[in-house]
Amino acid sequence: MIHDNLDDLLETLPLKDGMSVSFHHHYRNGDHTLNNVLSALRGKNIKDMHLYASGIFPAHKSIEACLRDGNIKDITTNYLNGPVADYLKKNGIRGRLKMQSHGGRARAIIEGENKIDVAFIAASAADKNGNASGLEGKNPCGSLGYAVEDAQHATIKVLITDTILDDIENPQIKGAWIDHILVVADIGDASGIVSGTLNITKDPLGLRIARDTMRLLEQSGIIKDGVSYQSGAGGISLAITDQFNHYLREEGIKASFFTGGITQYHVRALKENLVETLYDVQCFDLEAIKSLRNNPGHQAISASDYANPNNEKRAIRNLDIVILGASEIDLDFNVNVTTDSYHTIIGGSGGHSDTAEDAFLTVIVSPLLKARTSLIKKRVTTITTPGQSVDCLVTERGIAINPRRKDLLERFETSALPIMTIEKLKTIAERFTGRPAESKNRLHEIGLVEDRHGERLDNLYMKE
Amino acid sequence: MARSFLFIPGNVPRMLQNLDVFEADTIIVDLEDAIAYEEKDEARELTRAFFRAHPPHQPVYVRINTATQAMFEEDLHAIKDLPVRGIVLPKTTVKSLEETGAFFDEASINFDIIALIETPDAFFSIERIAANPRVKGLLLGGEDLTSATGSERTLEGQEILFARSQVILASKAHDKTAIDTPWTTMDDRALKRDTALAKTLGFDAKCAIHPNQVPTINSVLSPDPRAILQARRILAMHRKEGSMRFALDGKMIDKPVIERARKLLERAEKYGLLEGDRDDTR
Repeated sequence: MIHDNLDDLLETLPLKDGMSVSFHHHYRNGDHTLNNVLSALRGKNIKDMHLYASGIFPAHKSIEACLRDGNIKDITTNYLNGPVADYLKKNGIRGRLKMQSHGGRARAIIEGENKIDVAFIAASAADKNGNASGLEGKNPCGSLGYAVEDAQHATIKVLITDTILDDIENPQIKGAWIDHILVVADIGDASGIVSGTLNITKDPLGLRIARDTMRLLEQSGIIKDGVSYQSGAGGISLAITDQFNHYLREEGIKASFFTGGITQYHVRALKENLVETLYDVQCFDLEAIKSLRNNPGHQAISASDYANPNNEKRAIRNLDIVILGASEIDLDFNVNVTTDSYHTIIGGSGGHSDTAEDAFLTVIVSPLLKARTSLIKKRVTTITTPGQSVDCLVTERGIAINPRRKDLLERFETSALPIMTIEKLKTIAERFTGRPAESKNRLHEIGLVEDRHGERLDNLYMKE
Repeated sequence: MARSFLFIPGNVPRMLQNLDVFEADTIIVDLEDAIAYEEKDEARELTRAFFRAHPPHQPVYVRINTATQAMFEEDLHAIKDLPVRGIVLPKTTVKSLEETGAFFDEASINFDIIALIETPDAFFSIERIAANPRVKGLLLGGEDLTSATGSERTLEGQEILFARSQVILASKAHDKTAIDTPWTTMDDRALKRDTALAKTLGFDAKCAIHPNQVPTINSVLSPDPRAILQARRILAMHRKEGSMRFALDGKMIDKPVIERARKLLERAEKYGLLEGDRDDTR
């Protein structure tokens, strides 16, 4: 059924207190859909909802009012920052906050742990049967990978678009899954998917880290024909991707696939025939969207096909190298990208713990000093990715290899790279920072971090 | 022998704190042109405090204010007991070098000096400057020089070609390090071209005014793998023939070529470029 008014649509849905609603985050900070729908549900005084948003960004201001007024009781998400994080830090949550990974969310939806009553799926273009993609229309966002499981498994699926076309070529969302179509004036601003972190760093320390990471990859012997690679979208990661491309070009090596969030740097590699396929679960910039539309070697995949641990065909099962960031790392190589050292939520796993677990070589890259404290803690404030999934840490002052990886330690025994223990790196950092005192804040538990298999990794807190 | 000399301002804590991660062979902490007049005290105090707490693991020079300024003495008093290699003396002339030497003697300072050659005057006595035993290197200051001569600074650098050649010849005549003027834009391709020109002319090293210039300078001024291979072949043939004159690939090899090959391999070893079998290199 096609609707042209949100209120009319909501009248047809079995709205009730305690219901669960889901949204994807492909429009990142340019998303309008989540705010519009939640504001309307709040207007209808629906209480105690469980919000399943794959990502929550600063633009999602409506959530705060919903938390305050009792419309939202629980949140399950993979990434969270901005005003909602600030609100949770000060006020907590009546129900529970659960932070999952991208692969974990897909698994939990498919296996019925994340029970979604109504999925609201924004797509930049759809036909009248609900076939939809993120490639056409006035606000293309690219791959809709994080919406596919919602569209398949929610009880009611609502497709929201601002562009109706006669025909959708290769729809990532199938019309057969969709119950309702809502046509709105604007689903989001495509320029909001691009953020400032999507450019190569110009910071000399970041570039030093990128150079040493590339030297590490070269000396690891892993870069050969058929190699597969993923990097995050931070400035250092993109510098490494750029250098990785350069190395492939110079050495005449062709990679099998790049995956994860796709940027212009990945697209460039595909155009130059340095890589066979891009498996794209999310487009991080407008070049990626254009490439996904035009290049058959650039393929959109779902979150489950990307990282669901129980999906044997998941792309990252064959991933050789992943480059990831950290806000903290500890002596056991546990990594935190979920909170700062004061328990304020600043992000979340996304695909961090998924890719770290599956990749042959998981490399964490970060400046050693962060906000005048050491990156390396005795124990991270919050575990996002367990140390058993992490192989190397590259900082501007040295490289630490997880003692669990005896093969790597042996390989780099005679390397000229500045390889040292993580304890030594911590000591070097503390030469500059001193040792911070232990926090004496009383903490109140508000939720948990879950790994991709559904196991509790750590707790989330607010300050009392 | 250094390839890169990186200028970092003495009043920026983050730069001082990270000077050892920028991969520059030598650091020049600047108390002169990079520091505004009202920030001179702060830069001096910060530089002093930092090096007292964190002795450097690589050669560090401090560019002090010129010998004609009152701050010259204040700078030297602030750094005289620091674990640094020496000073960069701006607008060096024979006279300023003598005055600096006299001050060093009086204050029992035993610093090396890198002479910054950046005034027309200096070129009329450059040989005497290079001959001074305290001077370890000559650094061409192309920007100040062209400002003084009224020359237009160009990408091609024709306007400083003569000055570059003089700095190189004076340095080589006295076995000092010849250091090229910095490239002042962040255009990496142009930096690469300018550094390659400096290498062709005979400079040993080049200045960087931003850490991101260092990898390019180091890369261009390092012996390239083909040159290393050829040098290894020349020395291997020299050992085999037991002669200073022999033919290799149809070309005559004599003493200067053998010496150049030996120096090239020394530099390659210093920069960690000689992976594998080291027997072939000697």
